[in-house]
Amino acid sequence: MKKKVIATLLTVAMTASMLAGCGSEKGSIQDSGNAQNQPAEEESAAASADDADEAGEVTIKLFSNLPDRKNGQGLVEQTIIDEYMAANANVTIEVEALDEEAYKTKFKAYAMDGMPDVVSIWGQPSFLDEVLDAGVLAELNEEDYADYGFIAGSLDGFKKNGKLYGLPRNTDIMLFYYNQKMFEDNGWEVPASYEDLMTLCADIKAAGFTPVAMDGGDGWPMACFLTDILVQVAGINYADIVSNAVATGDFSAPEIKQATQILVNSADAGMFQIGYDSQDYGTTMNLFTNGQAAMYCMGSWDCSMALNEDIAPEIRENIRAFTMPVVEGGKGGANDIAAWNGGGYAVSADSKVRDEAVKFLNYMYQPDKLSKYGWENGVGLSAQDQTPYLTGSETELQKQVMEILRNASSISGTPINDCGPSAFKTAVETEIQGVSNGSTSVEDFLAAIGAACK
Amino acid sequence: MKKLYSNKPVIFSLILPGVLVFLFAVLAPICLSVYYGFTDYTGMGEAHLVGFENYIKLFGDHAFGRSLRNSLLLAIGFICIQHPLAIIVAAVLDKLQGKAEGIFRCIYFIPNVISVAVIAYLWKFIYNPDFGLLNNVLKAFGHPGQVNWLSQQNAIWSVLIVLIWHGFGWGMLIYYTGIKNIDPVLYEAASIDGAGWWTTFFRITLPLMKPVIQINVTMAVISALKQMETVYLLTNGGPNNSTQFAANYLYQQAFKAFQYGYGNAIGVVFILICILATVALNRIFKEKQEA
Repeated sequence: MKKKVIATLLTVAMTASMLAGCGSEKGSIQDSGNAQNQPAEEESAAASADDADEAGEVTIKLFSNLPDRKNGQGLVEQTIIDEYMAANANVTIEVEALDEEAYKTKFKAYAMDGMPDVVSIWGQPSFLDEVLDAGVLAELNEEDYADYGFIAGSLDGFKKNGKLYGLPRNTDIMLFYYNQKMFEDNGWEVPASYEDLMTLCADIKAAGFTPVAMDGGDGWPMACFLTDILVQVAGINYADIVSNAVATGDFSAPEIKQATQILVNSADAGMFQIGYDSQDYGTTMNLFTNGQAAMYCMGSWDCSMALNEDIAPEIRENIRAFTMPVVEGGKGGANDIAAWNGGGYAVSADSKVRDEAVKFLNYMYQPDKLSKYGWENGVGLSAQDQTPYLTGSETELQKQVMEILRNASSISGTPINDCGPSAFKTAVETEIQGVSNGSTSVEDFLAAIGAACK
Repeated sequence: MKKLYSNKPVIFSLILPGVLVFLFAVLAPICLSVYYGFTDYTGMGEAHLVGFENYIKLFGDHAFGRSLRNSLLLAIGFICIQHPLAIIVAAVLDKLQGKAEGIFRCIYFIPNVISVAVIAYLWKFIYNPDFGLLNNVLKAFGHPGQVNWLSQQNAIWSVLIVLIWHGFGWGMLIYYTGIKNIDPVLYEAASIDGAGWWTTFFRITLPLMKPVIQINVTMAVISALKQMETVYLLTNGGPNNSTQFAANYLYQQAFKAFQYGYGNAIGVVFILICILATVALNRIFKEKQEA
């Protein structure tokens, strides 16, 4: 009898511990739903009430792609968060920040199992199409942002079927950053044409420096570089040519072929550092910021280099920029630039504190927040009108980039790798390494990226 | 006590956790993988059945083929380079005795206690063409020192060196333990009979180490197939998939390219290959034992 009691007790204890282990918090399983079945407002309100405790405490979870919270855009984001929490004592904002690739991977994991309340997003088909199809982002009221000063067309990438699901943070321009002092010391000049650029690169190489630091290990910066060349080759037809190619899976258009060939020739002529196709963002940027490379090809978000005190002053204060020079015989002009409104923010559709999250989002986008602080911290151009915040004490680099945008006769829109589904993006960013280093032919490259669209 | 162990509720309660862990942590994910392998699921939204489409695509996928070829190269590297060296080093360590034995054992095992992330970044710096150790050593010997160690042509060999170096300690330690378990009387008898070091090694150590070698080789082949972390951090399969491995490719397809269904199809084929490799190795070793 005694043993039976022990046996029963053992069984009960084991079962209880198993059940305890298998238990889950109330509400931890969330239905991501789809665009047509968004949670009803009442449900959201009830959930909000559940989440906010009796004292009205609210916790907003922010998932960001800006892990450096002490410099650049990460600092701007953190400043606004701190201000919001100071102004709203009942609100706590918890930040989880990962760099871009890790961010995108975890974003997907969150999409399957409940998103944080406010998230970084990209207003490009390669990222947003699948996300919107899954209905994980809350619809925003476009009318609320009528007086937020968004640049015309900058919201388009964040819309689907006329509904707005996110707000853009930046206007990104593809640039060649260069070391002005190095240029002056060696008698080099900013190239007026692609041919001049190739000659300049040969001169720089002969002087013992790397001509252009290129992050080829990640794939996407080289795809942006290809976009830049294609804009010069195709001019204002860039967007039509690329969207047609993505729709049909046929990338044999002569403009795309020519642009790819120019990329191949440039890499073959030694425009980039040795091993560019396996080097990452940080290593590449360091080549430029420690004076080993004369130029650095990257987006305008890296304008904050001019204010980064970790970079030696003789380099930091001499960083300047120019855009892709014209290609001989191309349809693009000097003022046709590769630029787009990429990164931004959105609110999760199943956020339990959706009202507060939208309130915080709107606070971030008040014209005197993201735009103003972004400008003051030299993080490039906002997607909103920044002219009221010009102080006259901007860095030379900031003024130059502002001038480039002001003088632009056309902007390209989404870079080529982000124009199709994410499988296409992955294919472009992988295959471009092979075509640039000569292990894949131009024809095979174009066929491979075309196949990824089908 | 005997009666307690024959009591059915007790037996049930003792095996239940194991069965549940197997069901929910092993069997259920495999079943889900098989299901998703037949869908076009992106990881978000709804999944639609697409039949064998993912598997048909997989068999024409050059990147997957290359990842299997790389796994095979790594397995050959493990078996032909890492393990022979590990056995010899283990045998030498065994003969060293005293303090030196412990010191060298620790030194050889150090790479295994360092985090994979640190290892990957360490080698990234060693291989860097601009400031890396290797090119600087070459420069010291008068070479221009501009070798691109991670180029499309060289990258796979560079990665294999890291993986073979990193896993060396484990192999060596297992062989070392095996050698320590060999009865010293056999060595004494061989010594009295006038056998030298090599004769002792080939006639006593190696034959008695057969079971350990079998286990180590099986584990090496499986670990070559499963390779992921070091490659992900060192090259992420690049440039242009030249250092791609199946697990890394699966991850890229499922979580980067939003092709969760395709990623699961890779997973299913990957599991089948692992099972086939294990069964084949077991058969080979069994036949040898019977022979």
